[in-house]
Amino acid sequence: MKIVITLLLCSSTFIVKSQDALETFNETRILNAHSNETLKKKILQFRIEHRFGDMAGSAGGAQEFFGFDNAADIRFAFEYGVTDKLMIGLGRSKGTGAPYRSLVDGFVKYKVLEQNKAKQIPVGVSLFGASTITYMKANEDLSLVQSFPKFSHRMTYVSQAIISRKFNDRFSMAILPTYVHRNLVLANDINGLFSCGAAISLKITKGFGILGEYFYNFHDNEIRTEFKNSLSAGLEWLTNGHNFKLVITNAKGFNEVQYIAGNTSDWSKGQFRLGFSISRNFKL
Amino acid sequence: MNRLLIIVFIGLIGVLYSITYKSSTDIRVISKRINVSELGLEDILSRLGDKPLNHRLVTFDDSKAQIGLELIKYGKTSKQKSKRISKHFVCTDCHNLGREFEELSDDSAENRLEYARKNGLNYLPGSTFYGIYNRTSFYNDDYIKKYGNLVDNARDTLENSIQLCAKYCSSGRYLESWEVEAIMHYFKKTELKLRDINLTENQLKNVLNSQKMNSEEKSELVSMIKSKYSQSYSAHFKPTMDRNDRKYGEGGDVENGKAIYNSSCLFCHYDKRVTYLNLDETQITAQMFWRNIESYTDKSLYQIIRYGTYAKTGRKQYMPLYTDEKMSDSQINDLVAYIKQLAGK
Repeated sequence: MKIVITLLLCSSTFIVKSQDALETFNETRILNAHSNETLKKKILQFRIEHRFGDMAGSAGGAQEFFGFDNAADIRFAFEYGVTDKLMIGLGRSKGTGAPYRSLVDGFVKYKVLEQNKAKQIPVGVSLFGASTITYMKANEDLSLVQSFPKFSHRMTYVSQAIISRKFNDRFSMAILPTYVHRNLVLANDINGLFSCGAAISLKITKGFGILGEYFYNFHDNEIRTEFKNSLSAGLEWLTNGHNFKLVITNAKGFNEVQYIAGNTSDWSKGQFRLGFSISRNFKL
Repeated sequence: MNRLLIIVFIGLIGVLYSITYKSSTDIRVISKRINVSELGLEDILSRLGDKPLNHRLVTFDDSKAQIGLELIKYGKTSKQKSKRISKHFVCTDCHNLGREFEELSDDSAENRLEYARKNGLNYLPGSTFYGIYNRTSFYNDDYIKKYGNLVDNARDTLENSIQLCAKYCSSGRYLESWEVEAIMHYFKKTELKLRDINLTENQLKNVLNSQKMNSEEKSELVSMIKSKYSQSYSAHFKPTMDRNDRKYGEGGDVENGKAIYNSSCLFCHYDKRVTYLNLDETQITAQMFWRNIESYTDKSLYQIIRYGTYAKTGRKQYMPLYTDEKMSDSQINDLVAYIKQLAGK
């Protein structure tokens, strides 16, 4: 009986150091892409994300104040930790207009594996699935994707595995095999697109770090002639309950369907932009 | 006739026995029936004529105590419909449930840490709930600086202390009466027993023979028993140590510091268990502390330990402060010595 009581008393005051790779990335996003991290249980996060217009090139420069006059995409979202390993999110994006505007996205992310030296698990694996739907007004021109002949043409889907590894206190990396599916595309595009992302995080201090992210699309360049791979770099500041990121990227839009499958901006033509994301956590 | 007399005689003896049995339930009689060392101190003290506790529970219900334990550990109970007490804290984030000192009259930070290290306990800013039922004063000394007049009604009444803790310390809500009752029953269950206060054989003998004592002797006995445990824990706030007085870990005990870091800081901060700030035993985390060690801000260990942070509108989560009794200046130096080593400085 004494043992039972002792265990009962101890159970409330015992630190379980279950992992040895906490904060592989500082929050649930790397830059555009999701990281392996999920929100803790009963944490509600509000996110505001913004991408400005082209900094340089024909649509940028001083006339557009290096893109600050324009908003390529804006996303507001509420995201929530259902358990310590499962999170869901619902967001609304302005959309880049190529081809979608007024996008609503919903996603689920689940931590399948956590890196753990003692258990000889070298990497963390999270699975991510998302879907978007646009409620933009359909265009009468049937040669455009935006004509949406069927309701299902408004929908897109993403599946992604986020394989991450924290190499040391400061350096982490992730590989992100991704599949994006769109129900309706033009002739110069494909419905199902495989892509693989790679991302790094280098923490200079506990609260400040540098991030990089690149997605390589496995597509036939002769069909998808207009599309470009997304390349992004960023700085990150972490404070108690807040995360602020400053991003420079050629991708205009949020959601995988836009920044992986629908990206047409080219770094070499000055079509890169600043962006930021701010998140604030609330306990429910 | 004789038979009738015998029956009446036996009946009278029976009645007399039952009367004497009830009126002489002194400690010696009790000791014949149960293990005297398991007796609660409240019971013993009241039999010795001590003033009853303000929060005395006349009856005890174990099922209520179980609910009380659930409320303490999880902020809600599965046995009754209830809303979580606080979304920010549960009681055990700041209070241990078990014994924290070898000698229960002790309240030195050094001995508390030594006992915690020896027994694998966490080193928390609040006093343990173990024996709280036998205490008579709460939110003592400098807690008035933090909670103002709110402590007035809580200082001498355990039930009010529970309410103050639930509403303000845990940034939660006032409890329903059944919740307070359940917690009180848990406190009663874990009240100090005679065996807990380490009496000598002679002292124990005196307690057992107390029914023969006069009131003066009983009063002395009460004082002796009370000297064996703390009825109220001192709580003195200290200002942030002046930059010039800080030792920055010099001469500090690194092992002690590591124990404090693990059993205090990481208990809440590891993997963001209670807060948004993740702490771990990495160099990058230690460097964050070391870089700010000289400052007078929340980022300096010297300040955050002494002041904590405060709950405010829109941000109810906060860090409680450590009083001088719960973490001494010397222990802070030990902690800084460990952080310095971890930071590679």
